[in-house]
Amino acid sequence: MSGDVNDEVSEQASDVEDRGPRRVHPGTIAIDFLRRAPQTVIGLPAIAGWTSGRSIGWILLAATLLGVGMLVFTWIGWRRFTYTITEHELVIERGLLNRSRRSIPLTRIQDVSIERKPLARLFGLAEVKVETGGGEKDEAVLDSVSVAEAERLRAALRGQTSSSTIVSSAEGDAESSEASALPIIFQMSLARVVLLGMFSFSLVWIAALFGVLQFFDQFIDFGLDRARDWAEVAKDQVQARFSIAAVLAVAGLALTLGVVSGVIRTTLRDYGFTLRAGGGRFRRTRGLLTRSEVVVAMRRIQLAMVQRGPLRGAFGWNALSFQTLGGSDDPSGRQAMAPLARDDEVAAIVETAGLPPFERLPLRPVAAGHVLRSLLRAAPVPVAVAVAALVVTPLAWIGMLALLPIVGIALLQRRYHRYALRDTSLQVMRGVIAQRDWIVPYQNVQVVTLRAGWFQRRLGLASVLVDTAGASGYLSPDVVDLATPDARELAAGLVARIG
Amino acid sequence: MLLPEIPLQPLERGQLNVMRLTGAIGFGVATVVAAIPSWALSHSWEWLPVWAAPLAVALCGVWSLAFTKRRWARWGWAWTGRELHVAWGWLIRSHTIVPAARVQHIDVTQGPIERIFGVSTLILHTAGTANSEVNLPGISRETAEEIRDAIRAHLSSDPW
Repeated sequence: MSGDVNDEVSEQASDVEDRGPRRVHPGTIAIDFLRRAPQTVIGLPAIAGWTSGRSIGWILLAATLLGVGMLVFTWIGWRRFTYTITEHELVIERGLLNRSRRSIPLTRIQDVSIERKPLARLFGLAEVKVETGGGEKDEAVLDSVSVAEAERLRAALRGQTSSSTIVSSAEGDAESSEASALPIIFQMSLARVVLLGMFSFSLVWIAALFGVLQFFDQFIDFGLDRARDWAEVAKDQVQARFSIAAVLAVAGLALTLGVVSGVIRTTLRDYGFTLRAGGGRFRRTRGLLTRSEVVVAMRRIQLAMVQRGPLRGAFGWNALSFQTLGGSDDPSGRQAMAPLARDDEVAAIVETAGLPPFERLPLRPVAAGHVLRSLLRAAPVPVAVAVAALVVTPLAWIGMLALLPIVGIALLQRRYHRYALRDTSLQVMRGVIAQRDWIVPYQNVQVVTLRAGWFQRRLGLASVLVDTAGASGYLSPDVVDLATPDARELAAGLVARIG
Repeated sequence: MLLPEIPLQPLERGQLNVMRLTGAIGFGVATVVAAIPSWALSHSWEWLPVWAAPLAVALCGVWSLAFTKRRWARWGWAWTGRELHVAWGWLIRSHTIVPAARVQHIDVTQGPIERIFGVSTLILHTAGTANSEVNLPGISRETAEEIRDAIRAHLSSDPW
């Protein structure tokens, strides 16, 4: 029970040397209340009153009572939440009945990020997120403290002398003075953000619109369950023309909606994208309504990945991301460093990070059997779908045409899957439609696994799986389908270089 | 053999018994559990005999037990002084190499069944994500502790 001690601790105390437990800013109570009020205080009584047919007075009374109750609970929660920075650790205590105490050694702290959501900006507050290398996300969130306190925290948690960095930025800009002093190494103009938005149109709209189409198929007379009828009356020219026109119109609408929503989404997220570097850290700020700032320590960077989407790659644009240990607001531990950048811009950031450059020329392709395996992996499902569709309508033969690009892509897989052990890094490229390049410094390779399935053994192939820290999933720098001797050589070479 | 240049050592014979016993217990429990929905369903579908589902599960168990020795024989390990090699898998063969310098911490565990047959499991934790935990079961406790102490000598305080 530390409540008695806490009473004397002034929330606004700004002396850096203070070692006592602190609470987050009282404004948090108001923010928390406002955030939840629409659903609970207004929504619940309104629904309850409406459905039971009570008067407006009853609804208001219920809303008031609920609101007061919620305020009290929020206040208790605020009172019981304290944080302390001692010499060696950050201690967070919370909870009324279940008191929990979490101590995070300062040496384990990877990232300290400051985020300012619109409501918090209104109150001049900021949310501080502390991440360690552990698997779980957001091990410590201080929601929310004043901007000055946020900067003091960031300085203190990094073990720096903080007095010089405390600056109250009343304008409500997430960028601290320390940050804006650093040189900008990459920046995206509004035009480029919009361009990025146009590239990242989402196909969800197409699916959604065709779903609506399905729903209204009585009116438009087109839908999957009617495909058979439709095929029978396909001879009817008018009918056919109408349907094709309708499909084209819907597709056009979906495309427009997709582009517009992509632009809006991207602008909200990436507006004013700025990447600064200095003092062994990258500092990325971006966002229109929610201005977020993420700090990536260079020594925590595990690997670099350059990605070229199907369309943007054709226009010579790349996306660069770093896989970091204890990633910030990115759940996968991959941080976007440059969402839309030219080759030279990517190379400059990679060089700043102290990583070796990606060189395509010395890379060698994987075994020829990779083509066969890619084909066998890609083809069966579309073939099965097309055959199944043939039962419904003979027009499904047209669908077989869709197989051509699938086969073509599978045939190209080997051409784009290359690897090499360079001086200080493993370099891998993989993917035909979405092409990816990886730069993995040897010191960041954790575990190497050789793997050969039944079919791979028949073809004399084996894969080398490279495990790195920070993020998992299919975006790992694995080298798939090497001739077994090459795979052995690669695995042994990697392990030898890890030392 | 994915890496023939590394001579692998087999697991202890005791591990074969551990795998058989855990398999038998697991499938025994599954057989009993399978009897419950089977009994419930046989009320509505009279043609379904009560013993059908448990029998199917039990047959799977027998089949699995028959192949236990093959799965056991596919395991192999080697400690080279710099890295630990663990190979396993019958249909999909894997050979994992864990450099000692990448190990974060090490566990030596021994479950009740393992204790009966005198084997234990060595667990290496790394900072990796897909293979953050590499298990080597079925080695004697002395061997496990020897490897653990050897790896401990390699541990660096900051592997990143």
